[in-house]
Amino acid sequence: MVIALLRTVILYILIIAGIRLMGKRQVGELEPSELVLALLIADLAAVPMQDLGIPLAAGVMPILALLALTMVISVLNLRSLRFRALLCGRPSMVVENGRVIEHELRRNRFTLDELMEELRLNGVTDLNTIKYAILETNGQLSVLLRAEEQPITVKQMNHKAEEPGLPLPLINDGRVIEPNLRVRGLSRAWLDDCLAQHNARRPEEVFLLTVDEQGKVYFAAKEEQK
Amino acid sequence: MKRLWIALGLLGLLLTATLYNAQYLDRLTGQLCVQLLQAEQLAAREDWGQSEALIRAAQGAWDAREFYLHVTLRHGDTDQIKTGFDETLRLLRSREGGEYAAASARLVRQLQLISEAEQLTLENLL
Repeated sequence: MVIALLRTVILYILIIAGIRLMGKRQVGELEPSELVLALLIADLAAVPMQDLGIPLAAGVMPILALLALTMVISVLNLRSLRFRALLCGRPSMVVENGRVIEHELRRNRFTLDELMEELRLNGVTDLNTIKYAILETNGQLSVLLRAEEQPITVKQMNHKAEEPGLPLPLINDGRVIEPNLRVRGLSRAWLDDCLAQHNARRPEEVFLLTVDEQGKVYFAAKEEQK
Repeated sequence: MKRLWIALGLLGLLLTATLYNAQYLDRLTGQLCVQLLQAEQLAAREDWGQSEALIRAAQGAWDAREFYLHVTLRHGDTDQIKTGFDETLRLLRSREGGEYAAASARLVRQLQLISEAEQLTLENLL
C-alpha cells in the first residue's frame, strides 16, 4: 500500500510536468493539475471496480492521495504567483501591433495555421487590425483589436441607452414561477391579463413567458396549442 | 490555509497508515515463518504432534486477521496462503516427510514475498 501511495505521488507529479511541457494547446479549459486528476481518477476507480481480486482500498487510497495533492496544489496556486507560473505557465503575446512574434509561436509549439484558425474563430482575418493577440495559459487565444478597429459603442455616439435588465421567466413550460412574479412586483391578476392579451387562457398553454426590468414581455405559446 | 492543512493532514495520515500496514505485515509474516520453520524441525525429529500444533497455531493467527488481510492484500495472495496452510497440514498428517517439507518451504516463501512486496524499498518503488 505504501508503494502504491508513493507511486501515485511520483506519477501525478510526472504527468503534470509532462502536460506542462506539452504546451498550452494541450491543456484546453482545465489547469494542468485538474486535467491530470480527471485523467487518472477514472482509471483508478475502474480497476477495483472491474477486478474483484483487488481490494477496494487499493483504489480508494490513491484516489484520496490524488485529491489531497490537487488540493495542496490549488492552495499553493492561489498563494504563490511563482508557483502558479511554474505550474500553469504565463500568457504569451503571439501578435503585437499586427506583427506575429515568431519565437513565441515556436516556444508554445503553436503553428501559423493554428494561429490563423484561432484568429478566424475570433472573427479576425486581417492581422493588421490586431493590437495584441495573447495565448492564455488555458490554451485560448485572446484578441485585442486596435482602437480604430473596435466596434463603436453607444456611449461614443453620445446616445442614451436604456438598460433592459435581466429577463426573468414567469412561466416555464406551463409552470408559473411564483418567486419570479414576486421579484418583478407583479400579481397573478397581471399574469392572467397578460395571458389574455396573448390569446392564452391558462399558464399550461404557455411554453415561455419572461419579463425584463422595463416590463417588456416575451411570450412563446406551446406548439401543440397553436 | 485550512484546506492546505486538511490536505497535508490527509496525505500524512495515508502515509502513516500505509507504513503501519507494511510494518504490521512484516511482523505477522515473520512470526508465522518462525512457527513454520520450528514445525519443520520438529517434523524432522518425527515429533508430528508438536509440529501440527505449531502449524495450526500459525494458521489460526492468519485466519484471525483474515478480514484485515483481505482488505489490504490482493485476494489472490490471501487465497494462496490459505490453501498453502491447508496443503501443509494435509501432508504433515499423512506423514509425507519430503512433500511436507517442500510445501512448508513454499508457504514460508509466499509469506516472505507478500511482506517484501509491501516494504518501502527502492526496488519495490521502481
